[in-house]
Amino acid sequence: MSERIQPNRATGDFLELLEQSGYRWSRPIEGAGASLSPIPSGTTVLAFHYADGVLMAGDRRATAGNAIMYERCDKVIPVDDHSLMAIAGVPATAFEMARVMSHNFEFYRRSQLQPMSAEGKVRALSRLLKDNVGMALQGVGAVSPIFTTYDHQNKQALIYFYDMLGAEFQIRTHTTTGSGSPIIRGVMEHEDLWGVKPLAQRSRNEAALFAVRLLKTASLFDSATGQARPEDQIYPTIATVDADGYHFFEEQEIATLFPEAMKRGQ
Amino acid sequence: MLDEPFRWMEAVSTRHSYIREKLNKGQPVLGVPYNEGSLLVGFAPQPGKVYEIYDRIAFGALGHPADVERMRMTLLEMAHLEGFNRSASDVNLLRLLQFGIAPALKQNFEEVQRAPYLIQLLLAEIDPSGAPAFYRLNYDGYWETFPNGVAIAGDATVMDWISEEIGKTDFANMTLQQALKEALRLWEAGRKHSAELNDDHEEDESVPLSLKDAFGKWNLEAAVLSRTTPRKALFRRLGKDEIENVRAEAMK
Repeated sequence: MSERIQPNRATGDFLELLEQSGYRWSRPIEGAGASLSPIPSGTTVLAFHYADGVLMAGDRRATAGNAIMYERCDKVIPVDDHSLMAIAGVPATAFEMARVMSHNFEFYRRSQLQPMSAEGKVRALSRLLKDNVGMALQGVGAVSPIFTTYDHQNKQALIYFYDMLGAEFQIRTHTTTGSGSPIIRGVMEHEDLWGVKPLAQRSRNEAALFAVRLLKTASLFDSATGQARPEDQIYPTIATVDADGYHFFEEQEIATLFPEAMKRGQ
Repeated sequence: MLDEPFRWMEAVSTRHSYIREKLNKGQPVLGVPYNEGSLLVGFAPQPGKVYEIYDRIAFGALGHPADVERMRMTLLEMAHLEGFNRSASDVNLLRLLQFGIAPALKQNFEEVQRAPYLIQLLLAEIDPSGAPAFYRLNYDGYWETFPNGVAIAGDATVMDWISEEIGKTDFANMTLQQALKEALRLWEAGRKHSAELNDDHEEDESVPLSLKDAFGKWNLEAAVLSRTTPRKALFRRLGKDEIENVRAEAMK
């Protein structure tokens, strides 16, 4: 803590403050290149619009190579009261990004006396991804996130998908990322077009049932996507974002939802 | 010239009286506990009395708006860097005060060639066990702690009088509504108390004398740190309807 009181900058940018206080963003590893074996990153996370807002879900498995390291990983994480980030890719980088974002938004809100706009939040993640390009290109630290937030100005929930260079794409219906995503992308599209009703018209319960089934499907074909294990109380993470903010499904709720989702019909 | 001890002391004492005179019209901010946390409340002609600093820390101030703003940003930056580099649970108001802002203020105050800060601060925190704590920080870096609530005001006699009354009142067992009402009653009583004291001097016409007056001319700023919120950040500004409720009651 500085002895002398700093002149007032009041930009509200926490990233700038971090840099001033000596924080250094990860730099590309010189000369590492191909000699580093790529760190595998298995995951399935997804997000889609449903009747009340957006729903986000993810499996719980963390892997290193073909080893399962952890079965209780939370890949859908709160960033602020109205935003969630689903992470696919290298956990170290992804969790760090979520943490930086979370502090960034809070710092902005408190210093500027207004919440950051939804667009500003979307751009913030873009900037973090851009800063990480060097690492991603060398096969370490690649992250492919989905970001959802509620836009109070336009009164709608938003889903954004990013590529590794930081480009942002607004998703109107549904998206998924991670190693299990190719398996369920077609299922989501099919269900949205020709299912009982479009995803955007489904109730909270219907949406959650669908999410559980998607993750189950992904786990059947992708070894890096974890299965639900009711006997060990391991279930997928499911959360929604609407005008009131984010809400995670309680474990008990998913425990009753899961067997229902595994039945045929509906 | 200032390197002679007497000259230096004289300069410091002039500085004290200069700042006190400048702060004289600073309107009180009251910090009191209530049954679910802490309440900070104050009237002002323009907004700028009560702010959020961190998850469990609130800030009340009076003085020059630019200085208030600078102190607020300094505290915000210190708290957020600590919270980011370590953890939100490592952010502790006592430490921010003791190792950060109080020494910095003192140093500024004693550099007699530099412009002094014209401020007085009231800081509130709910500690992890849920107990409220209040700190009063002076422009020269001197600070005191008050577990049962305290007030700041430009006029020292009003400040002491209201603070003493706060200490005598059982705010900790009141609901938010009751605590807010009682705090405003003390504000009004303090105002009358000061008017009586200054009877022989000229009384400032621009400062409202009664609650009714104050509501008519000024804005009431009030915020709570509430233990009962499901959110991580306990700070909440009281909404328009809540303020309107007490206004209606005061107008009766």
